[in-house]
Amino acid sequence: MKTFAHAAAATAREAVAFLAAEPPGTTATRLIAGGTDLLTLMKAGILEPRRLVDIKTARDELRYLRFDPDGTLRIGALTTLAELERHPEVGAKLPILVQAVRDAATPQLRTVATVAGNLLQRPRCWYFRGEYNCWLKGGERCFAREGQNQHHAIFQPAPCVAVHPSDLAPVLLAVDARVLMQGPAGSRVIPLADLFAPPTDDRRSETRLAPDEVITELHVPPQPEDARGVYLKAMDRGAWAFALVAAAAQLALRDGKVEQARLVLGSVANIPWRATAAEDALRGQAVTPELAAQAAERALADATPLAHNAYKVPLARELLRRAILQAAAG
Amino acid sequence: MSIRIVTTHTEFEGRVYEQRVVMEGEEPPVWGPDAELAVVGTPQPRVDAQERVTGAADYAYDMQPAGLLTAAGLRSPHAHARITRLDTTAAEAAPGVRAVFSRNNAADFQNPNRDATIFADELLYQGALVAVVVAESREQANDALRLIHVEYEPLPFVVDPDQALGTGPLAATTKASNILEEYPKTYERGDVDAGMASADEIVEVHVETPACLHNSMETHGATAEWDGRMLTIWSSTQDLFGVRRQVATALGLRQNQVRAVKQYMGGGFGSKFGAHDSGLLAAYAAHRLGAPVKYMLTREEENLCAGYRSPSIQTFRAGAKRDGTLTALDQRSVASIGQGAWMPPVAMATKEMYLCPNVRAVDVAVQTNLGPFASFRAPGAVEGTVGLEITLDRLANALGMDPLAFRRQNYAAEHQDLNRPYARKLVLEAYEQGAEAIGWGTRNLDVRRYPNGKGGMLRRGVGMASQMWGGDGGPPAQASAKLLPDGTAVILTGTQDIGTGTRTVLAQIAADELSLPLDHIRVELGDTEFGLYSPPSGGSVTLSSVGPAVRMAATEARKQALEVIAHLTEAPTDAIELRGGTAYNRETGKELGTLASFLEQLDGHEISGKGMRGPNAENMTVRTFGAQFAEVEVDIGTGQVRVVRVVACHDCGRIVNPLTFSSQIEGGIIQGLGMALMEQRIVDERFGTVMNANLEDYTVPTIRDIPQIDIILLDSPVVQANTIGTLGAGEPPIIPAPAAIANAVAHAISRPVSALPLTPARILDLLREPAQ
Amino acid sequence: MSDPASGPSAAAVPAAGMVDRVRIQLTVNETAYSLSVEPRRTLLDALRDDLRLTGAKPGCNMGNCGACTILLDGEAVYSCLQLAVECVGHTITTIEGLAQGDQLDPVQRAFIEHDALQCGFCTPGQVLALKSLLARNPHPTDEEIERGMAGNLCRCGAYPKILAAARALASRPD
Repeated sequence: MKTFAHAAAATAREAVAFLAAEPPGTTATRLIAGGTDLLTLMKAGILEPRRLVDIKTARDELRYLRFDPDGTLRIGALTTLAELERHPEVGAKLPILVQAVRDAATPQLRTVATVAGNLLQRPRCWYFRGEYNCWLKGGERCFAREGQNQHHAIFQPAPCVAVHPSDLAPVLLAVDARVLMQGPAGSRVIPLADLFAPPTDDRRSETRLAPDEVITELHVPPQPEDARGVYLKAMDRGAWAFALVAAAAQLALRDGKVEQARLVLGSVANIPWRATAAEDALRGQAVTPELAAQAAERALADATPLAHNAYKVPLARELLRRAILQAAAG
Repeated sequence: MSIRIVTTHTEFEGRVYEQRVVMEGEEPPVWGPDAELAVVGTPQPRVDAQERVTGAADYAYDMQPAGLLTAAGLRSPHAHARITRLDTTAAEAAPGVRAVFSRNNAADFQNPNRDATIFADELLYQGALVAVVVAESREQANDALRLIHVEYEPLPFVVDPDQALGTGPLAATTKASNILEEYPKTYERGDVDAGMASADEIVEVHVETPACLHNSMETHGATAEWDGRMLTIWSSTQDLFGVRRQVATALGLRQNQVRAVKQYMGGGFGSKFGAHDSGLLAAYAAHRLGAPVKYMLTREEENLCAGYRSPSIQTFRAGAKRDGTLTALDQRSVASIGQGAWMPPVAMATKEMYLCPNVRAVDVAVQTNLGPFASFRAPGAVEGTVGLEITLDRLANALGMDPLAFRRQNYAAEHQDLNRPYARKLVLEAYEQGAEAIGWGTRNLDVRRYPNGKGGMLRRGVGMASQMWGGDGGPPAQASAKLLPDGTAVILTGTQDIGTGTRTVLAQIAADELSLPLDHIRVELGDTEFGLYSPPSGGSVTLSSVGPAVRMAATEARKQALEVIAHLTEAPTDAIELRGGTAYNRETGKELGTLASFLEQLDGHEISGKGMRGPNAENMTVRTFGAQFAEVEVDIGTGQVRVVRVVACHDCGRIVNPLTFSSQIEGGIIQGLGMALMEQRIVDERFGTVMNANLEDYTVPTIRDIPQIDIILLDSPVVQANTIGTLGAGEPPIIPAPAAIANAVAHAISRPVSALPLTPARILDLLREPAQ
Repeated sequence: MSDPASGPSAAAVPAAGMVDRVRIQLTVNETAYSLSVEPRRTLLDALRDDLRLTGAKPGCNMGNCGACTILLDGEAVYSCLQLAVECVGHTITTIEGLAQGDQLDPVQRAFIEHDALQCGFCTPGQVLALKSLLARNPHPTDEEIERGMAGNLCRCGAYPKILAAARALASRPD
């Protein structure tokens, strides 16, 4: 790790002030919360900030977990994954969140990793994390596209074929979360789906968060009465691995028919991948094994696997099929 | 005492060495099956467990002599390159930097392990050493690494073994071929062509095994200190005497000017024989700078330049009569050894495990532009067992025979290669007991193969594999035993406890020989200063080599104690019996006094016994044999494999400590499970670079991956082997594990398996093929 | 920090390589230590190199192995992924602080009794991970034990024995 100075922000506003004080386009200052991703990026020499600003000191403002009277869940940005995992009311009302979080990383990492940090984590691609000047780091080419891409994308909306590694992002998308961000000009709320965007030549990152913005809160709107969700994750070992593929299904049924369906795949693209074609296939229908298989088929119809990741297509199809069936069964 | 020179043979990792050893005195008679032993054979927690659970145990990584400097290495990012320019001046001027060593100022620093300098101009693999910075803090050392300016001329490289054997470039410009000297080597007995011609069924099998990275939790390295007279090196090593010899050679010192110490180490698994470059550099820097220096590899360095299990490509042809009689085995093995310089014994089991008159084994060791491979827990044998046992299952299937019945039918009672008997081969017993425990007889019943759950997508399979390995050890190994005035004893040996529990089992042996409670025995080891030579701790030879030496030392001490007691009590020597630290007259039943009460009367003189490991029996082969049975569940929707249960039955002779023995068995199985299901080094062949030289992308088993492990003990002494009747247990358990799991998976999915690891990706690929 | 209303200035970002050490106080095993560190010093390095508490082990330095596990305010965390400067004001427990005098912690005793260790390099981390799990959940099920201990690799494969030690502790009466 290169040397850096250290400061602390007591509020989100202070944190924004630190970021906004920088000349546009520079990233000499970085916020650190749990640090579980940031510090590994710094140790690997991928990020070399000259100053870190600790935002954990804004815990009074940003670390909370509560349900509003209308049933909206408000998750402060500094809430740790462990707090989310252990919150009894979250477990009762939004079990899909707990399913995703408890399979993420390890107890030690969940104890310090924050919800906002989890959404903002960078890809695990070994070219990105290694000493390769890849496109995502500002270079000319994506080395994975024709290289060792067994863990990479089967949908490729960007020059980079790394996948978004978060377990939490697919389920938060499945429950239609919103994200509250604060910048120099004030706050804004956007659907979480709009936070994520495939990287572009001008923005080599997976989110639209501006360099001087801070995530302050996630909202999860109240879910329909009989909503149920399932998150399934396939790994190369029993624990402590990023998903090979993950599938999140949040269904609301009325009179035995699907009224609302939100299906999201993880680790298949640069961003959590909404399977809208599959959602359409379910809407208004009674879930049968055949329908679930059909919907899953449609979700993967446009997949374009690379040389070493063809297995992800049947794997994603199967996880999604099971997630739909299990969610429908309650 | 009579002194004589004895010539004997010892086996280490499949290679046989002739040893000449000095023997002084006689070893005690072997502890036979009826020996009355109070401590040996009982489960005992480790005598040094408290240090390990409290953080008091000092590892090489933990040593901090005053004024300690930290070393960090700059290593080649290229698979093959030549240094055209190297400028270290900016790094040398950086804050806290005390020295930068490179070809610029240490060009003549020789690596005694290979015929090469430590700092080379031609860099033969990613991770090859370019320079080492020594600074006051680790941050300063790392900062200075960035200030070293290197210009490389990239050279053509080869990492794929087939290319290296074919038309690919040379891995080293100084060599004429990528094939290691003296290879290919062919072993042949009988007439393979005639054997194939007489077969009713012939199968051809292609098997590939992955490069597995040891990933010992503690990386390679050492802390070294030079006081102007003596160089002390605290090394994370399995071979203290090798460290002493290599450091002395590299630094131009005499061996007695080097002291190698290791009380604790964080795993080695075969990769830590000798000092390694990192240890030599720590010693070199400490010697040059006159200040203590620590060089511990980073995890990435560890995985690039500290060894791996060499990947293998094996092709088999195997023939058998319709009745199941093997007629011919023909194996070609390619071991991709990177910049290694020897070939592990891949064909070991093919030559010996099963009765077959016609056997051919062609070994090819090919060098590539990857780091040197290193022994990894039963090197060669694990890979070869995967190939052989998969082949046997295929042949059994082709014959329509039960795979276990097929193996039973081809049981080899004698060592076919040397035409001599085995001291003992309990493999049929292992088959019988293992088969019963796993429920072999019902393995094909549909009701158990297709359990409900996950939409009926789970498939159950049961597979097995046989195991053979050495583990009989041999001389030279020395020990001494001292009885102290307080009636306790100290055992001294130069061996090392690499995490297997050596200190504990040696204490148990001494406790029984001296009739003292275990807590009256202290075992000192891990230090060359005792001058008591011990072999490297590898090849499963530590206990079977050092244990008998400790026993003999204790016997000698006991004899002397009896003489002292006889002298002081006037009881006849052979009537005196020691029990629990007290002497009795066996004839009168009278208590004569505590051992301490007599020893105190010696006025400070301590009784000291000397012991050494005697020669091995000639004209017979001593081996560990066994078998494992694995039950797996395969989710055919997701390709995920879960090993549900492993039954392990290994004959390692007398079990000194059933508790630590079972830990060895479990650990071996879990490492084998890793190789079977998840572990493989990944290389980008465009660049010749390793993608997963870390513990994130290189996945090793977690606590959530482990099966139920049932161990069946075959606990009785191999009286021909040595005076304690014990054989090694470190390597046997890993040998059949990947093969048994692979065969179980093939059984579960009704498709042949031919490459490891069996990741979800690979299983899903296999499932696209039609079932057989 | 400076007045938040005006915000810190860009000039406040130091030039590369020009960072001062910071004097901090860490409370480790109920003892207060004063030390001077660069902001980039990890808690692991501070414990080992500055305080000479070498029980926490460097296995990977990237949060991938668990050997550096310590307790931060009673919860297991990886000390290689903590900055020492950010641990000021927190309670740090290392393996050296677990025993009460000569009295080993029950978790330590269970590890010894069940042989839940081989080379021992990962053991301090394993012990503290289990300590943290049992503090939250004194009677975990097997699945809860496995999930709770999934963040500590053991390359020797002591897992069955670790599981046995944990089960024994989990089934103790309150």
